[in-house]
Amino acid sequence: MAEDLMLDTAIRDWVLIPLSIVMVLIGVLRYFVSKLMRTSQLPDSKIIKEGQLIIRARNLRAAANFIPPKAFRARKVYYTNEENGLLYVPKGQGQNPQAQMFSDPNMAMDMMKKNLSMIVPQTLTFAWVNFFFSGFVAAKIPFPLTQRFRSMLQNGIDLSTVDVSYVSGRSWYFLNLFGLRGLFSLILGEENATDDTQRMMQMSGFGFDPSKSLGAEKDGLDIVQHDWVLPKFEQRAEAVLRKRLS
Amino acid sequence: MAGHDDSGASGKKSSENEVPTFNVENMQSNMKVVYYSRTFMSIIGGVIAGILGFTGLMGFVVYVLVMAITSVCLTAKAGFSIHSYFDSWNRVLMDGFLGGLLSFVLFWTFAYDIVHIF
Repeated sequence: MAEDLMLDTAIRDWVLIPLSIVMVLIGVLRYFVSKLMRTSQLPDSKIIKEGQLIIRARNLRAAANFIPPKAFRARKVYYTNEENGLLYVPKGQGQNPQAQMFSDPNMAMDMMKKNLSMIVPQTLTFAWVNFFFSGFVAAKIPFPLTQRFRSMLQNGIDLSTVDVSYVSGRSWYFLNLFGLRGLFSLILGEENATDDTQRMMQMSGFGFDPSKSLGAEKDGLDIVQHDWVLPKFEQRAEAVLRKRLS
Repeated sequence: MAGHDDSGASGKKSSENEVPTFNVENMQSNMKVVYYSRTFMSIIGGVIAGILGFTGLMGFVVYVLVMAITSVCLTAKAGFSIHSYFDSWNRVLMDGFLGGLLSFVLFWTFAYDIVHIF
């Protein structure tokens, strides 16, 4: 069943290329719109303070082996002390940021705006593709797929003898959707809002960040074993200097 | 910003005796260079595979080949001393291997259709 269908050139000109161009343009437009809408965000000082605290604790943990043991212990106690250590968060307060996030109208609006700016163009484009480009073979994908994909890829074509490689316009839309992510990351730089999965991960991690990661950092600091690696650094400096001067 | 190694990989300072230290920013910038290179090469590889008319398994072989060439070129650019630019071999060889697959397939389909199914 590997007959070679000869497809009309007009399909190339009026389906494949315009759809790709439209998706690229919509992606660029979405990037600029999201950049414009993002500037009106007032950062919450409490959350920023906690974030910086976490960064400091993490730096201490990463560079723990470069400071003498006494200094490290002093810093560790400063962070993890039970009464007034900075990382110690009583259980009751821990839930606060999350509840505050959902009840705070500003942040909820922000999340909704981001959601909309992502979902609406995709839905509109999908509806447009379905309306105009359904019911005919649009492209041939160069590798064979099993019969189970037929219903997914050939939704407008009702002939069952056509090879599964010949797909309809809807599947070209999906192929573009996933494949243009790489292109966008090249032409728009890293900070682009076109990657759904990345954005969803960011959004789901935002609510829990302050309360849980403080506890995680405290535990991390507690289990760090200090191993001072620079006890002989005078000899090492001497060796390096000798090598340089000789 | 087409990342074919023109921004240059930044070296990381690592002290000689057994302690590996990494400058995180430089490492991240190196990883970004690797990512851009792979994405760019997968797009180019897709167009090449489509124009040459590869179908089926051969096309994926072309993808693996292109990724391998990219790895070799990145290694050569790093002067074959991987450890002063990345923290392990896996980073430069394996990271992002499959990330360019979708872009590859898109441009492969595109080029193949435009050239062969006219």
